[in-house]
Amino acid sequence: MTQAEIIEKINEFLVEEFEVDAAKIVPDANLRETLELDSLDYVDLVVIIESNFGFKVVAEDFINIHTFQNFYDYINRKVEEKNATA
Amino acid sequence: MKYALVTGGSRGIGRAICVKLAEMGHYIIINFASNTEEAEKTLAMVREKGGDGEIMKFNVGNQSEVETMLGGWLEKNPDKCIEVLVNNAGIKKDQLLMWMSNDEWNSVLDTNLGGFFNVTRLIIKGMLVKKYGRVVNVVSLSGLKGLPGQTNYSASKAGVIGATKALSQEVGRRNITVNAVAPGFIKTDMTEGINEKDFKQLIPMARFGTSEEVAEAVGFLASEKASYITGQVLSVNGGLYS
Repeated sequence: MTQAEIIEKINEFLVEEFEVDAAKIVPDANLRETLELDSLDYVDLVVIIESNFGFKVVAEDFINIHTFQNFYDYINRKVEEKNATA
Repeated sequence: MKYALVTGGSRGIGRAICVKLAEMGHYIIINFASNTEEAEKTLAMVREKGGDGEIMKFNVGNQSEVETMLGGWLEKNPDKCIEVLVNNAGIKKDQLLMWMSNDEWNSVLDTNLGGFFNVTRLIIKGMLVKKYGRVVNVVSLSGLKGLPGQTNYSASKAGVIGATKALSQEVGRRNITVNAVAPGFIKTDMTEGINEKDFKQLIPMARFGTSEEVAEAVGFLASEKASYITGQVLSVNGGLYS
């Protein structure tokens, strides 16, 4: 999966799951504010990530994720790590 | 195939729950801590009902055992989702608080409250992905009312009741319900030392309950029909305490 494909996939499920306007999803926007995430929404987010990309997410992973770009980078890194060990 | 895990399923209330869930069409994973022979007997009873299942030995209070055995099963069976979890495993070590040893306190808390955590944490993920699940925790009158000589047991069961209510709010929106059933005096090995005659005057229904009567309540809360009931504690106690 290329980085562009990953980003496309992420945006697709964010729009569907969090009912957010696709136009609002831009790399520098704040993830939590744009998606209006409360702490319970993270349950949904983690489940979606794990079932779409097949790696385990821990709470600490979110500490440094502020923008959509941070989020893409995080997923991308994890997918690469997973592929490297596979 | 609908999978159900019942902890402490080898005897007593746990066994009756295994049989009930088998009748409801579930494949039963019967967890037990020590008595393989009794667990096999439960499995035979499940099969007599036309159901099927397997036994799985681990101590719910031992985090690494839970991760190895149950975690191992989940890893080996990624396509199978446990949609009913009954946290039933429990021990009691009664003693007045002033004489209670560290072990009497810690072991009861580790098994009854820690066991809930160790097992549920592993199972809930699959339910969240599937957007369906039923968690039923077997607690006790002791956790609602408190019983003298059982500060450890009462604390552990009250702890599970709190956890039931909290978890139900965390996972409700993904169509997972979390409830508790609180038996009163039930005829099992656990109440063997208690004289029914001494207590039945206190019970409006004037008798001890049976494991099957508890299993009926668990079966209902574990069914699809109990779809809008969550975070609740259902007492099965013959009217003893409400």
